[in-house]
Amino acid sequence: MAAVVGPDHCFTAAADLLTYECDGLTHGRTRPDLVVLPGSTEEVAEVVRLSRAAGRPIVPRGSGTGLSGGARPVPGSVVVGLSRMRRILEVNLRDGWMRVEPGVINLDVTRAVSGAGFYYAPDPSSQSICSIGGNVAENSGGAHCLKYGFTVNHVLGARVVIEDGTVVDLGGPAPDAPGLDLLAVLVGSEGLLGIVTEVTLRLLRRPEATRTFFATFPSTDEAGEAVSQIIAAGIVPAAIEMMDRLAIVAAKAATGLDWPDVGAALLMDADGPLAEVEHTSERAADIARRAGALELRLPRSEAERQLMWKGRKSAFAAVGRISPNYLVEDGVIPRSDIAAVLREIGAMAKDHGLRVANVFHAGDGNLHPLVLYDARESGQEHKAEHLGGEILRMCVRYGGSITGEHGVGAEKAAFMREMFSEDDLETMRFVCTAFDPDGSFNPGKVFPATRLCGERLERERPHPAEQAGLIERW
Amino acid sequence: MAERPGKDSDAILGVIPRLVFEPESLEEAEDAVARCARDRLTLGFIGGGTELGMGAAPSDLDAVLRTCRLDRVLEHAPADQIVTVEAGATLAALQAVLAPHHQWLALDPPWPERATLGGIVSTNAFGPRRTRYGAARDLILGVSIVRADGTRVKAGGKVVKNVAGFDVARLLVGALGTLGLVATATFRLHPVPEAAATVLFPALDSAGVSSLAEACRAAQLEPTSLAAVADSDRFDLGVRFEGFAPGVAKQAERLLDLGRRERAAGERLGEAEARAFWGRHEAVREMGPLRVKVSAPPSGFPAVARTALARLLGELSPAGAVFYPTLGLGYVAGRPSAVSAVAAATAEAREALAPLGGSLVVCEAPHDLRAAVDVWGAPPPAFALMERLKGRLDPDRRLNRGRFVGGI
Repeated sequence: MAAVVGPDHCFTAAADLLTYECDGLTHGRTRPDLVVLPGSTEEVAEVVRLSRAAGRPIVPRGSGTGLSGGARPVPGSVVVGLSRMRRILEVNLRDGWMRVEPGVINLDVTRAVSGAGFYYAPDPSSQSICSIGGNVAENSGGAHCLKYGFTVNHVLGARVVIEDGTVVDLGGPAPDAPGLDLLAVLVGSEGLLGIVTEVTLRLLRRPEATRTFFATFPSTDEAGEAVSQIIAAGIVPAAIEMMDRLAIVAAKAATGLDWPDVGAALLMDADGPLAEVEHTSERAADIARRAGALELRLPRSEAERQLMWKGRKSAFAAVGRISPNYLVEDGVIPRSDIAAVLREIGAMAKDHGLRVANVFHAGDGNLHPLVLYDARESGQEHKAEHLGGEILRMCVRYGGSITGEHGVGAEKAAFMREMFSEDDLETMRFVCTAFDPDGSFNPGKVFPATRLCGERLERERPHPAEQAGLIERW
Repeated sequence: MAERPGKDSDAILGVIPRLVFEPESLEEAEDAVARCARDRLTLGFIGGGTELGMGAAPSDLDAVLRTCRLDRVLEHAPADQIVTVEAGATLAALQAVLAPHHQWLALDPPWPERATLGGIVSTNAFGPRRTRYGAARDLILGVSIVRADGTRVKAGGKVVKNVAGFDVARLLVGALGTLGLVATATFRLHPVPEAAATVLFPALDSAGVSSLAEACRAAQLEPTSLAAVADSDRFDLGVRFEGFAPGVAKQAERLLDLGRRERAAGERLGEAEARAFWGRHEAVREMGPLRVKVSAPPSGFPAVARTALARLLGELSPAGAVFYPTLGLGYVAGRPSAVSAVAAATAEAREALAPLGGSLVVCEAPHDLRAAVDVWGAPPPAFALMERLKGRLDPDRRLNRGRFVGGI
């Protein structure tokens, strides 16, 4: 391996491997045998061939910000880190695309073209450190995917190294290439189908205008009702985010924003052509008032608008101010059930003797309940994990999903059976084995193992970078 | 279950099946596919039949399953803006159910009265509003499919945001029924826009179309449709805005200003004129027995017009072309002159598109022409992987045998 990637990019010493034992899901750790950081598609292909010849599982890794253990090694594995492959290869603004290596950071894509008035739409909260390769693996979303869609809607093409080291090109700048849409299933396949070494991303022209408002409500019931009515009025907000009382308290504590002490708040963005946006944002504000908003704040400047979003974005990390420990859940419910679901979560939390803060993407029903606990108190951690699992089951019961954007990874593999039958899972396995018959890539992720007694769901912990204040998530 | 011998009207590109199933429920559909699995019968699927000309003729066809009686809307949750329908429901019937709630499925392929949702998904059929809303791939949330072995499975879900498991639903879009029967599909819905305006720029050359499309984007206008319609080397560019009335009016006005700066004289069409323009756009598809779909990156449009479109238009009479300049997609349709001349034009058009990264697919063609051209063109670079996938999901290769790319 050292001969392929160079001795400086091949690690076997315990101290060097430490960083790679986990991703953003920090408590589940496994030491790989080897970490390699290839610098080109050819090197990736050679690494794959060598690993396979040695019978070693291959675990692809981007920035390691994932929250579901998708980049966690398995025993005996080779971790293939793509962080050295971070060149922007080609930009074509006329056709609105950019070809990049997988290690390019999400936000750097937008930065490279923002001067020309373009941007890359998917905006996961970790966008300042997460990589495009990881986004492709997880089909990452973000607050603005309500209007603009997910990574899968913004990837035009990919170059991928499959199990035998073959390099395959899927899609490209011209639409509707004849044949099966393998790109559609590659995006979101969580590193099980191969290693992506180049990605062609769609770039969008910046909308002419963005209007934002922050509205407070007595409780999440009224806030949920406002969301429903805004949507029912035919408005497609660019983003619409909700926070409950506990989340607002935490955000205030962290940022010093002069937000009032209320039961719930909404933060909404509308964007598009100016005349359209002025109309829709006024109408949405009216609806919020009629749904029982206590107060409506409109930012008077871009700086003020950024501050409002900062409050929202910092809410996750801010929860650390009001609780020694917390775990982050990621589930989806039908949007119209938000108020009922939040009440149910509240009741479940009470039963468990725990508090849950809610900060989430209300427009698409993507919940991020933060289960607060104190690990020093015996039994609390277990209770918190149990509550997190119950919340996921509830999401499925409401017709939703066990993950809206964090992925299944290692963490929720055991929960796939809550959503899918054995036959459903078998169909996904057919797809998987068509790409990777021996299961060389990222084993142990997505698919549940044979059910074991006393199987426990793993829970997310704050990412170290997040605790250090380097990143935020929402 | 309704099961009968095949008739002429059940044929797929001239191949008449021995047996036809018309299941009335999903369970019956499972039974029919399972029976074909048991008896090792090759099986094709027919929805509304609007795109049956797509693909090669089946190399073997024992049975056909028609989805026409699987036409229920299973769930419409207006507040969640999702709908789940059976495969045989027509697009028009679905829109009629959604309309009272001021919602619609933002897909506008031609022939909505006949086109079924299963067919639209399987053929990736689309219309001009793809410009804004994307295609089936962008709107589908989940499916249930009946696999080749007769097992009904689901993938995806019924919420707009969901990353649990592999995205098998999107994989079925455009797969021409070769991976399984699309039995039901769940889609994301959009609000019906309250106002619309079409601005027409007549008789532009291809460079004029491109520069106006680019100017539109530069000015941050957001049309829902942009279509250039031609019967010669001049294009009538229709640009449609939809949304709330103030935004629509303002955008149409600004586009007319842009046109003046680009020296393109445009006019905002009245309702009847707008209908006529989009009707003419639709009618291009039915200009004759030949229809090809052309793809190239948007900036390649002038080159495409000069080469592929011009070459094909020259061999057809009557002839018409539609190009969606921001999508990089278009159609040429018409009545072919001599078979050999059209085959040569198709080959030359492909040669012209290849360096742009584009492609040409023959969607409709008379029988004699099919013998002279490969409707799909050369197999794509990832063909080996596609074949492996087909082999995993349909190991006996019984579903729509021989119809898809590379004989899949």
